[in-house]
Amino acid sequence: MSARLATILLLLAGWATRAEAQSMRPFTTFRQMHGEIRLAAQLEFAAGLLRVTQGRPSELYRMDLSYDDDRYVPVSDFDSRNGAVLLGLKPAGEGGVRVVSRNQLQQIASLALSPRVDLSLGFNLGAVDADVELGGLRVSQLEMRTGVSKAVVRFSRPNATRCDHASISAGAAQVTVLGLGNSRCDEISFEGGVGRVLLDFSGHWSSNARVHITMAMGELTLRLPRAVGVRMTMDKFLSSFDPRGLVRQGEAYQSVNYDRTQRHLDLDLTAAVGGVNVEWTE
Amino acid sequence: MRGSSRLLGLLVLLTALSRHTLAADTGARTSSDLVDQLRALVSGVSDRLAPRHAVQTRIRPQAIAQGGTSVDLSNLSNPTQVEARLRSALDMDKSPLRITVPGGTARQGDFSLGSSEELRGHLLVVDGNADIYGTLRGNLVTMNGNVTVHPGSLVSGDILTLGGQVTDQGGEIGGEVRTLQPARTRAGSAEQVAVLSPFQSVLRRAAGVLGVFLTLCALGFGLVMFGRQNLEIVSDTVAHSFGRAFVTGLLGQILLLPTFGMLVVGLILSVAGILLLPFAVAVFVLLTVIGVVGGYLAVAHAMGETYIRRRMALGVVIGSPNSYRYLLIGLLGLASVWAAWALFGWVPVAGSIVWGAAFFVTWLLGTAGFGAALLSRAGIKENFAGRLLPPEALTDEYLWATPQFGVPAGRRPGARNPRP
Repeated sequence: MSARLATILLLLAGWATRAEAQSMRPFTTFRQMHGEIRLAAQLEFAAGLLRVTQGRPSELYRMDLSYDDDRYVPVSDFDSRNGAVLLGLKPAGEGGVRVVSRNQLQQIASLALSPRVDLSLGFNLGAVDADVELGGLRVSQLEMRTGVSKAVVRFSRPNATRCDHASISAGAAQVTVLGLGNSRCDEISFEGGVGRVLLDFSGHWSSNARVHITMAMGELTLRLPRAVGVRMTMDKFLSSFDPRGLVRQGEAYQSVNYDRTQRHLDLDLTAAVGGVNVEWTE
Repeated sequence: MRGSSRLLGLLVLLTALSRHTLAADTGARTSSDLVDQLRALVSGVSDRLAPRHAVQTRIRPQAIAQGGTSVDLSNLSNPTQVEARLRSALDMDKSPLRITVPGGTARQGDFSLGSSEELRGHLLVVDGNADIYGTLRGNLVTMNGNVTVHPGSLVSGDILTLGGQVTDQGGEIGGEVRTLQPARTRAGSAEQVAVLSPFQSVLRRAAGVLGVFLTLCALGFGLVMFGRQNLEIVSDTVAHSFGRAFVTGLLGQILLLPTFGMLVVGLILSVAGILLLPFAVAVFVLLTVIGVVGGYLAVAHAMGETYIRRRMALGVVIGSPNSYRYLLIGLLGLASVWAAWALFGWVPVAGSIVWGAAFFVTWLLGTAGFGAALLSRAGIKENFAGRLLPPEALTDEYLWATPQFGVPAGRRPGARNPRP
């Protein structure tokens, strides 16, 4: 009796090894440089892995995709009049959720951008594991919106141009922004929903910056450089805050060297629920 | 016992058959996968060395006559749409092939544009490579072929290759270059699932139903072993107050999410409570799962108990009418609706109806079970289990016929205030 049962279970287990999966389709698009000086690039990517890097000088942009052709269609539309390009994936028209294993869901997008043109970048990301390297590019504007994502944005090298504004909005996400000092952005705004956020302001500071941070629920870590004068105003509801290295000056917290330093970082922080941590870096 | 042995024998036979069929299938697929991988590897290497060799079968270069399906190549921003139009044009079994390209030309087989030549309008090349040495004033689309843009050449518009590669050897391309490759299907793709035969489909579903049945059996036996009293109280609640349990279960389902939301918000708003939030969420989810699964098992228990008691009332001798047997019989009954779906689910319309019926029955009984679990506080309170007699049932005759040891007659219910 038990032997028969064991046989059945073994046979069924052998049969169950047939796995289901999906079909992935490669798509590549690029455009040669034709003397352009600026590019407004908008990337739509709902799910998968995203890598953004510096591209070849001879190409304005290049995107390599591997996508689920049952659910998405690739988009690559360049508007030569406005110097704008829309890249990424849009839904194929059918809703629903595909339930498969993690490996089978690996849509991959690799975007390379020219280091020669001023870039106005817009990222609209869904459930994405993103690694965005903007160091060495000429980023004049940045707007990133993420849903349920794990995103790392880096400015490993100084931005080659002045950045007017950088805006990052995250839903339920784990977001890390590294080297914001290299971004050369005059104004940075971050809006976080739920999750863990690290904002690293290290890098080569060539101008002052004003930063607005709104955090609904979660843990926010601010990594601040000692060489820059930091001033922070804070509006918190149920958040813990450890003002390590900052002294209270009226309504604000301020680093002791704020009046002596050449570069200033002014932070305006609103946190509802969670914790705000401060780390110092050289 | 004999019946169960026959059932097991049948299952072994069915599974062995399925294994035999699927072994051949899997073997073929595995070998074809290997061949595909080898071919992909070889073609990947050969593409690097000589991208022109992608088109294996050479077709005599020729112009495609106008007429037939019209394929507009002026906008290539949606390559899948262009591909679909082209495929539908090519799939039409027409000889000779006819495609109309508005404002352009269509070619079949290899095509070369000489360095001194200039072509105005869009160009479509099917089943062949396109070598551009001269000037093309328009868009270029190839299907099943590569594009090579040679030094000194110019393509003023976009380039799209469907199933090919673009090699830029130093020419100028005014527009975008897009390359759309065929789908790389991984093992067991949706297409492969779709071509399962009815027999394979039945076996697959039957295995699923059997798996769920065995899992529920294991859970149920564990519940009988460690929480028999609670299970019996929930089971009795279902049996004696089915309507009440169903309504309670329905309300419970409706209020489940709001309750969860209130719990989370309440804990967040209380400063100390936020620390308890992860535990509270985990406990809430756990209790819900226990309520639903335990309730469903209690329904199975009630069904089995009712069936066996009726059989015994008819004079059938049953070895040991205990909770294990009740549960097994009840789960068999519940699994039978899904077994019907497993057997007939592949039938186009009837399969959907059977699935809907099975789902509805499962939901109905699951809701009642969940409600019974709520009513009886997971089998702690037996208010609705039919075990407590209402005061009006405690008549003198009942009390006289029912020995109540240790209870003085003067304190018996009903005897306290004798009616005049």
